[in-house]
This record gives sequence, C-alpha cells and structure tokens, in this order.
Amino acid sequence: MTLEDVTKVLGRFGAAETVRADRIRVTIEPNRVRDAIAAAQEQLACERLLAISTVDNTETLELIYHLIGPHRTIISLATVLPRESPEIRTVSDILPPAGIYERQIHDLFGITFTGHPGLTRLMLNEDWPEGEYPLRKDWKQVPGRFYGGIREDGG
Amino acid sequence: MTGKTGSLSGRLVHWARMKSPWITVFNSGACNACDIEIIACLMPRFDVERFGILAKGSPRHADILIVTGRVTRKQASRLRRVWEQMPEPKYVIAAGACGAGGGVFEGLYHVLEGPGHIIPVDIYLAGCPPRPDEIINAVVACLGLMEQDAAHGGREWRRKKTLDGLPGSPALPQEAGT
Repeated sequence: MTLEDVTKVLGRFGAAETVRADRIRVTIEPNRVRDAIAAAQEQLACERLLAISTVDNTETLELIYHLIGPHRTIISLATVLPRESPEIRTVSDILPPAGIYERQIHDLFGITFTGHPGLTRLMLNEDWPEGEYPLRKDWKQVPGRFYGGIREDGG
Repeated sequence: MTGKTGSLSGRLVHWARMKSPWITVFNSGACNACDIEIIACLMPRFDVERFGILAKGSPRHADILIVTGRVTRKQASRLRRVWEQMPEPKYVIAAGACGAGGGVFEGLYHVLEGPGHIIPVDIYLAGCPPRPDEIINAVVACLGLMEQDAAHGGREWRRKKTLDGLPGSPALPQEAGT
C-alpha cells in the first residue's frame, strides 16, 4: 500500500508520513482516533491490531495504534495525550483485541480509557498502590512504601 | 530430626533420604533458562536419576526446593506457601544469577530482594544459567549439609554462626515440631 492510498482515506485526520518501508504513520487528534480506526478498517482493510504502544515523552504521553491487514503495510495511528490526567475513549468495542492492551497501558502508564468494560489490574500485583505508574519516566520507588509482595508479619 | 544415632527407623529414613533426595523446582519469575538446565539434568546426558535424585511435581513429596528467579511480587506469597507445604527436613537451593544475587532484575519495580528474604535459603548457586553439572553439585552439597545437620541434631548450629548479624538476613520462621 502506498502513501497516496493512505492519504486519500486518512488525510482528513492528519498528515501521513512513511516512517520506513511498509510502515506509514498518521498523527491524529485524540478525539478522532475512533473515526480514523473505523475508516482504516473499512477502506484500507486494516482489520488486525498489531499492538498499542505508549511512549513517555516526559512532557506528554503518546499512544500509537498499529494496524495491519493482508496488504502487509503497518498503519500507525499516533495521538498525543497530556501528562496530567490522560484520558481517551476506548476502541475495544470496534477493535476487540485492543481491550487487553488498554488494561495493560492503564496499569503501567495510567492512561484512562473511558467506556472500557473492565479496566482492572492486569500486569501489576493486586496490592500495588493506586496512582503509581512504574513505566513512566519520572516514577521512582518511594522508600519505605509497601508495593506488594509479602509482609514481614506473615500476611 | 533423625540422624545416624537415632532409632532404627530414624536411621533407615536418614539413609533413604541421603541415597535418594527428591527435589522440586519453583520458578519465581525467572526467564526459564535455569528451569531448562534443570530439565537437562533429568535428560539422558546427565540423568540424575542414576544418582537417585528424583524430580517431583509436588512440594509435599520433596526434600529439596530449587528456586529459580528473583521473586516477583506476585510470586512471593506462593513461594512461601510452597515452602510451608514441604515436610521437614527441608532444604532450599536458590539457583541462577537472579535467585542468588539479583541478576538483571535487581531493583526493578516488580521484584523483591530475592528468595532469601521470603524463605531460608541453604545454598546459593550462581550462573546464568547454572550448568547441569553445577546444579547436581549443588544438590550434592545440600546432601553434605543434611549430613552435618543430622550430626548436629538440627540446623540451628549453622544459622547462628553464618546468618545472624548479617544485613538483610532473614529471621528463621517458626518451624513446626522443632
């Protein structure tokens, strides 16, 4: 699939660029991600989700949805979220495999996906303290705080 | 604790234990390399069963627990429970660079300070992963400890001398029946 094909369909959402061979990146506003994914599914035959990756840019959080189809071109839909209270609408209803990625990202980066049917803990242990996101760049373990595991009183 | 000088049945049990130690393996968050080396011990090239060392699936049947990996926060209580299920006398080998000294996972958000902080470890086995002959050597060294413990009538003699006073050394949990 060429850049022109992608621009024709996704150009109204944002500028498309070829990152490297077989990978095209489109940067989109957060509130239009669902429309862009639906358009890519319907018009570009991108029915598979490869991954959702998250980047901590120290000032913002970047969310990238990698879609692929039988044409074997990866379409990366990137969106930038604010660091304070990052929130975005879930895509797990139109793209079911996204649900488990969103739980993982919610666990490790603290991005809230509104409308997700069960945004519970997936990666971290159950007694991990609320509001701590270990994969954020500025996260540091607070000395003396209990992060889960085993308590010395046998609990 | 039974030894060479106990009753006939005690001496018989001690003899059987020394001739055929049963081991069980617990992966507390390792990368599986140590587990594969332990499986290699059981395969025809090394074949530990010819020495009488049997790998058992249940900790309730085992004398020696081999722990691989830095203990993750999720696995800590499971490791403690597995250790509690083992019958006395029980021995623990912390295998691999992670289990013995931290490895690449030292200080990460998801791991604790190692098996030695959850359960009392008798032998630390280095290597990433340890070779099968080193694992067999550790089990044999463990048998030597068993022999010495039986001669001393318990393991207290070596806890007091080696572990007390060291920073971060675990307090020996209360053992039933001793």
